[in-house]
Amino acid sequence: MIDFLDVCERAETGPLMTERDFELKVFIPTLREVVKDHGIRYDSDTPVPSDDAAADAVHQAAVDFLARVGVYCQDTNRIIQFTEEEIQDAVKTAPGECLTGEGKDASVFRVRQPDDGTMARCHVNWGTIHSSQEMAINIMATNVAHPEAKAISISSVTNTVRGMRVKAGSPLEMIAGIRAVRVARDACRRAGRPGFPMMNLVPAAAAAVTTIGASGPQFGARPTDGWIIGIISEHKIDYGAMNKVAYLLNWGANIGCQGAPSLGGYCGGAPGTAVVNTAYFLLGLVAMKANYHLCFPIHFRHGCCSTRDVLWVVSTSSQAGSRNIPIPVIWLGYMAAGVNTKMYFYEAAAYLLAATTSGADAVKMPTPAKGVKIDASTPMETKFGIEMVKAASRLNRQQANELVIKLLEKYEPQIPTAPEGDRYQDCYDVKTGKPGEGYLRLYEEVKEELGAIGIPFE
Amino acid sequence: MQKNQIFENLKSAVVEGDGDKAKANAEEALAANIDPLEAVEMGLSQGMEVVGERFECGDAYLPELMMAGDAFRSAMEILNPEIKRQKKEVVSLGTVLMASVKGDLHSIGKNILATVLEANGFQVVNLGVDKGALEIIQEAEKANADAIGLSALMATTMPAQREVIEALVELNLRDKYRVVVGGGPVTQEWADEIGADGYGQDAVEAVALLTKLLRS
Repeated sequence: MIDFLDVCERAETGPLMTERDFELKVFIPTLREVVKDHGIRYDSDTPVPSDDAAADAVHQAAVDFLARVGVYCQDTNRIIQFTEEEIQDAVKTAPGECLTGEGKDASVFRVRQPDDGTMARCHVNWGTIHSSQEMAINIMATNVAHPEAKAISISSVTNTVRGMRVKAGSPLEMIAGIRAVRVARDACRRAGRPGFPMMNLVPAAAAAVTTIGASGPQFGARPTDGWIIGIISEHKIDYGAMNKVAYLLNWGANIGCQGAPSLGGYCGGAPGTAVVNTAYFLLGLVAMKANYHLCFPIHFRHGCCSTRDVLWVVSTSSQAGSRNIPIPVIWLGYMAAGVNTKMYFYEAAAYLLAATTSGADAVKMPTPAKGVKIDASTPMETKFGIEMVKAASRLNRQQANELVIKLLEKYEPQIPTAPEGDRYQDCYDVKTGKPGEGYLRLYEEVKEELGAIGIPFE
Repeated sequence: MQKNQIFENLKSAVVEGDGDKAKANAEEALAANIDPLEAVEMGLSQGMEVVGERFECGDAYLPELMMAGDAFRSAMEILNPEIKRQKKEVVSLGTVLMASVKGDLHSIGKNILATVLEANGFQVVNLGVDKGALEIIQEAEKANADAIGLSALMATTMPAQREVIEALVELNLRDKYRVVVGGGPVTQEWADEIGADGYGQDAVEAVALLTKLLRS
């Protein structure tokens, strides 16, 4: 079993290579070979497969791939390599669960299995930007107050500080990072859940110093919250990420490895993306000493996670991971369409069906409008997401597959021209925090429609 | 070997992304006294066009683009000295310097665009990620670029796109370059706000935009 200092040492002593050679001569050809050798195939007619042996083959391919490719360190231009034995050791000793939150808001984040029958953990809110701090607090507090909510992704609040736009790596980023943590803890208190776990710390912090600085307990952060450390796409890390690991290991805080393989990017198509997404679960364990994981395989062209091929990647890699790698994973999905559109609900339903029945341990309520529009989220998406997770937990993969195919028929052709939808203030009463009648009516219509195709809402 | 067969071999080497084959075929072309510019136009560029079309309709992805680009460059290593010896030049639509701005470590979108631009007849200087305004401008000057493409995938790195444009203005170089911006959170409104010459939502749109800008 290797420790983090071994990883640091290998970052200084591994094979020296340019980044381009790593991409062209190591990553791309090895992934092609591994996909071929392990017989990984994408079947567009089955976005949610039920083949356990095929899922295990993706896991084996991921182990093989990580052992052959390693991870590239951008600061030293060296490859940090791991043997297959070291990877298997990391899997054997993986924690399988993660203690989050404090007091009566504490909960254990555990792994699930495909066709599990239990409810996936509901992870609420989004790391998105709002036009005012008050709006961010109101939305966060409403989401946290939902009785089924177990953890939150805190909002970045606003993208300015005293009118100045927050810039990566600048002092404004530090100020904004501290503000995000402080405001989110206040929102949790307002919801009556002061010990609620915040699992995406610190949102929009590009610099390691921001993550570390904003993590001071005086701002409301605790080791039982969760810190996200991102893998750079694909299979790359830097000393910024490793500095965060060094700090969090010394503090004893929850470490969440974030992997977001791009379908159509270096991974190529769906089979390669599924292998890389699964390899990232392993990379988090072996290189970052993570005790939970957050992932969002995403379509390179459409910027969303609801395309047919990405849904297959979500389902396949979730099955591969949950059957073989005992690390709890949060599944995050970006939807193409925005708030107050039927298409958003169709996409979110498809995503949550695919993930939940495939063994997702936690699902984040799908993010509207690709997560890039300001104020583009409301508590209605949380309400819908939680009801969908409950419904999906009563289904198996085969039933989910049939429903996902029906849902894809409703939205798939519109993905390139998806409606960006409303903002919070367009469809909610900002003063009372209640949804407008139009949005309520749309919501009820969609639920009735989805119930009619067989989604078993309570 | 027939001239057409040599062109076909050059084209297929690029389509297959086989750098060694592309080099060997380029040597064959020169040995057969084929005009090196014709070898580029009728062979290598045709291959890039095929891969570009496959990419546009979703039948090829970044790896195929990168391997094809690499095979193209391998063949050009053989053909370029002869092109220079004959005092000829490969026709280019312009030189574009591409970079992910300061603080941004994301490269996929930028690399896709860089490769698609090459496939469409542009010369590209791909500077890399996390590049500051002055470094981008210095490299654009060095490369005698016609346009600068700036990528930002995070809301907090978008201001660095503005910084490059502001620095160009301060250095009295703004009129020398067309500046285009892109990346997940970037919009046309943002491009207008910071005074960019254009915004491309994806690689295909960005190529059309740069073609239009550099022809005008």
